[in-house]
Amino acid sequence: MYSVSASHAIGLIGGLIALPLALVGLRFHPRRRSVPGTVQAAAVLMAITGGVHLALIPDHLDSEPFTSALFLLNGVAFITLAASFTWRWWRLSSSALLIATVLGYLIYVGIGLEGPDQVGIATKLVEVTALGLVLVPVRGEHAAHRGWRHAAIGVAMPLLIVISGATVWIVDLARPDARHVHAGALLQATNTIPTPAQVDAANRLYAETKTAITPYQDWRQAWAAGYRPGGSTSLPSTHWMNQRYVDAGYVMDPHRPQGLVYANTHHGPVLLGAMFQMKSLNRFGPDPGGPMTAWHQHENICFTPFGFEFSLMTPYATCPIGAIDISAPPMLHVWIVDNPHGGPFGVDIDPSVVAALDRT
Amino acid sequence: MITPSSTSRPEIAYVLLLVQAVLWTVAGLSALPFALGGEIHMLGLGLATLLLALFVCLVGIGILWRRRWARRVAIWLEALCIAGSALLFLLPIGANHGPVALITNLVLPGAVIWLLWGRRTRAVFA
Repeated sequence: MYSVSASHAIGLIGGLIALPLALVGLRFHPRRRSVPGTVQAAAVLMAITGGVHLALIPDHLDSEPFTSALFLLNGVAFITLAASFTWRWWRLSSSALLIATVLGYLIYVGIGLEGPDQVGIATKLVEVTALGLVLVPVRGEHAAHRGWRHAAIGVAMPLLIVISGATVWIVDLARPDARHVHAGALLQATNTIPTPAQVDAANRLYAETKTAITPYQDWRQAWAAGYRPGGSTSLPSTHWMNQRYVDAGYVMDPHRPQGLVYANTHHGPVLLGAMFQMKSLNRFGPDPGGPMTAWHQHENICFTPFGFEFSLMTPYATCPIGAIDISAPPMLHVWIVDNPHGGPFGVDIDPSVVAALDRT
Repeated sequence: MITPSSTSRPEIAYVLLLVQAVLWTVAGLSALPFALGGEIHMLGLGLATLLLALFVCLVGIGILWRRRWARRVAIWLEALCIAGSALLFLLPIGANHGPVALITNLVLPGAVIWLLWGRRTRAVFA
């Protein structure tokens, strides 16, 4: 969702090529001055989305001929409408095409025929904006159904944006690709099945780390060693970070893990495990256990200094005000408590384990 | 037929501001589940974002009605957005630099400023 799919990148180029062509075409259109700027702007945006759809045809032609045919129909229809903005039924047909295209994309994404990506979302934003421009009445223009058109803008635009965002987001979280897990965390690429040597290496790393951090079961010792809660302690668990170890950049040193994870129970912090963290983004650490010890990087999280809290960036690349979009450098957890769903190196701890610790 | 003196720049800006308001509504709503999960500050940020979305919607309506205050507020607000987004684009914090981020955080605010800027456009605001 936050990246450009390789097969869709050409769509961006198609859209960018269509933009200057549309502007030039508009400049020399004989009846350009007879329509308001909103119509001209909508025509340009429709030409862009037409260009995106046409550019996607070659890449889909072999694998998805039906989709390619739809792209062709869509692209031609958008460009034809972009050029014929003086037509009597232009507003009605443009609105219908724009709404149908957005809904069609959502159906495709919803049933898994298309993966949500940046090109798709950007194109939908352009289409919804074009819809608003098609519908908005202009002062000084003899506009029929002015009230209805304003009402349509007020309903259709928010509805399409919210439904598109929700669909794309739900699909992305419910059907992540092989390298995306746990609310969009990017996994290190590894082999699929661990070799016996990798299993041994993973077991060694686990044993060494567990022994090294056992003293920190007493949180006071962790505090004395320089670990501090890195977020709210009202959550089920909190990462305690050692800034000195983070700055030093130790790489997967069981005696100097950059973080410790504590469950916040009613009888105080209970140690769940350690967290190794790399110093820089996109540089995954050593992976002795192959798929068992794959690192992960949290991308596109909205971080706020207020309480050191996080949420997820929306598909539209927005965060709540007071929060900024960041990515955290690659990390690897080692859980010293039983973690039935993720294992000892799982990306996340099973919430039921934390809840059970709180009950004891 | 439209009169030669009329401009539809305020209407285009209104549509863009409406889109922006809805995008902020989505951002505000997206924070609320995290508040339910125990991140109490996210509740405040989510509600503040929803209020901002409402404010942007009102500014958009003000622009549609050719109100001078709305034009001024919109320009300042979008300039602030661009400054913040430019920082995010420049700082090495792993912020998203994809086409959607570009459209939402730079192109859209830039377009609103461009549409409302200039003496001719200013003249149509009461």
